[in-house]
Amino acid sequence: MSAAKPSAAHLSAVGLSTAEPSAGSRETLNALRRVVAGASRSGEARLGLGVASLDRALGGGLAKGALHEIGPAAPRDGGAATGFAIALAVLALREGRQAIWIRPDFIAAEAGELYGPGLALMGLSLQRLVVLEVPRVRDGLWAMEEALQCRAAGAVVTELMGEDADLTATRRLALAAGAGGGLGLILRHRPCRAANAAMTRWEVASAAGERDGFGGLGLPAFTISLVKNRHGPTGQWRLSWDHHERAFVTAPALSLPVAATAFDRSSRPQLARAG
Amino acid sequence: MNDAAQRLGLRLGMPLADARAMHPALAVAASETAADRRLLDAVADWCDRYTPLVGLDAPDGLMLDITGCAHLFGGESAMGRDLLARLTAEGLHARAAVADTAGCAWGVARYGDASLVPPQQMRAALAPLPAAALRLAPETVEALAEVGLKRVGDLVDLPRAPLAARFGEILLRRLDQALGLEDEPITPRLPLPSYVAEQRFPDPIGLERDVLATIARLAERLGAAMERRQDGARLLQVALFRTDNKVYRIEVGTGAPLREPSRIARLFADRLATIGDACDPGFGYDMVRLAALVTERSEPAQAALAHTGHAAPDEDAELWHLIDRLGARFGPRRVTRLVPQDTHIPEFAVAAVPAARTTEDGGRTTEDADASVLCPLSSVVCARPIRLFERPEPVEAIAEVPDGPPARFRWRRVLHEVAIAEGPERIAMEWWRDDTGQALTRDYFRVESRDGLRAWLYREGLFGRETAQPRWFLHGLFG
Repeated sequence: MSAAKPSAAHLSAVGLSTAEPSAGSRETLNALRRVVAGASRSGEARLGLGVASLDRALGGGLAKGALHEIGPAAPRDGGAATGFAIALAVLALREGRQAIWIRPDFIAAEAGELYGPGLALMGLSLQRLVVLEVPRVRDGLWAMEEALQCRAAGAVVTELMGEDADLTATRRLALAAGAGGGLGLILRHRPCRAANAAMTRWEVASAAGERDGFGGLGLPAFTISLVKNRHGPTGQWRLSWDHHERAFVTAPALSLPVAATAFDRSSRPQLARAG
Repeated sequence: MNDAAQRLGLRLGMPLADARAMHPALAVAASETAADRRLLDAVADWCDRYTPLVGLDAPDGLMLDITGCAHLFGGESAMGRDLLARLTAEGLHARAAVADTAGCAWGVARYGDASLVPPQQMRAALAPLPAAALRLAPETVEALAEVGLKRVGDLVDLPRAPLAARFGEILLRRLDQALGLEDEPITPRLPLPSYVAEQRFPDPIGLERDVLATIARLAERLGAAMERRQDGARLLQVALFRTDNKVYRIEVGTGAPLREPSRIARLFADRLATIGDACDPGFGYDMVRLAALVTERSEPAQAALAHTGHAAPDEDAELWHLIDRLGARFGPRRVTRLVPQDTHIPEFAVAAVPAARTTEDGGRTTEDADASVLCPLSSVVCARPIRLFERPEPVEAIAEVPDGPPARFRWRRVLHEVAIAEGPERIAMEWWRDDTGQALTRDYFRVESRDGLRAWLYREGLFGRETAQPRWFLHGLFG
């Protein structure tokens, strides 16, 4: 807000010097550039994902008030992609507000319905989730635009099948997200490479997870690939979602025992390690 | 019976054989009670433009309580003329009478020739009319005629006790009601709205833009009226009166009491966008009425002084507005919240409840309690999937032992090797829900395949006890 006044003053100064910029006006121009850069940076709230290298690639975290796209790397990774979307929604809702989940009817048969107990276990409180079922994809995009403009919506997730939502549609959604300040997520159930106006595009694959101390299931692991990033590098990360802490943790590349087993205890090495 | 038949000398109630004997070429159509009823309903709907208090008097009459309304139409007789002229233009034959009591108006409309009974003149108006004008059963009328009591005037001054003894209490009651000695309220067809705002147009409007602008104007008046009494609307209705006497009623419900004019207008804009095709403006609407059918007390909200961690009131209001608008567009049943249910059958563990109906503080638990209610198991991993298939998908699974975890399974034509399996979690069906007694126990396994797919599989039926060939299903996917 404070940036608005000086920039107006500078603007008139710049307007006077047209042909040859003097030293004074160049200085003004630089000051103006700083103001503009500062304004654009402060205007974009960031959602830190809690993994240092990932946040660095994103320039401090996932941009709020913007549109992001999540898809599975292969059709069977639908569950993992959904999990990643839910995890992002949980992070976006840490400061309050509500999540709106929009789903066209036909998705349920293909990919399964959203299951409340699982969401609650991942950390998404059911009291802060509104689910909307729409008859057609077009309705879903309309509803998403409306929901994104609402300041009470912290995260809006819309499920789509494959190539739906073209450049124009996503551009509208991105503008709506900018107006409302919520996190806009498009969750696709088929891999999609078509160009659109999303800020980032993620491809999620499920990965073999860790074992717990007893050889049972550990935290689930994803391999997430940032395949498009408007303002930074792309990359690939291996993450787990810790639902107790409600945070991402970096998953080890291979599930090997962390500590060496005790030398003199040959029996039940895993139990000994766990104890 | 139409006009032509009447000219031929036919009468209502005449046996069909007699009529045929008089005029062999007579065309006969069966009476359609249901269609007549629908027509009467439509006319009643349209009469709503005169007064909200319209009562049905089946099979062929309507009662309008025009107390306090007549001056809007230039007086009682002008109103009656206007009504009849409009109905005649539609090809309907109608008679109307205005009187102090419903009973008197009924009798005069059917048997008299005056259209307006002056105040307190019911006795004079009714006296020359036949006894049937008192809304009596045909038998009573006949019995009265037998003793020479043919006109209402004959009855009025007779001693009451013998009349009641001979012809029943109903005769005296009808008499009293017609003369205004006994009160008789009109039962309105439609609920009476608490707040109404309406706008009439000398020139009908037809464009959706004009209709919406009108609704916005009316919403401002309605909102101001509600604010004075600190009410908010939960159910709003717009009635569009078409010039050719058709009425469209559009209702919109809200999740929280609402009186903000711009939001009311927005709700109807969304609603009209979906059902626009169903409302054919024809030659235009000459009246638009906005009514709050259901209202609720709503105190003016105080702006939040500081951010207290809870949602600010205006943020809350915005969410409700969003929910209302989505509900207006797609139907309130499609906007849901997931509410935990008291059952351990996985597919019934949550129910989707319309978001507009769940109150905010009703049954609100802390977030941790939320999770423990939903899943009895505490585990390192999430014990419940995030996606659940409405119909569990059959898979081919191979287990090393018949009641052990699966070793590999084929789902959607892809073979998955199981790397780790956890289970079984045995869930028996609830016998009180099970009508056929055929429901089998399920053994659930959480499995992870070698390439990381996490699925929730179950085996239906206990091997050896319930079935010899247990079948496998994939019920959900984990994140």
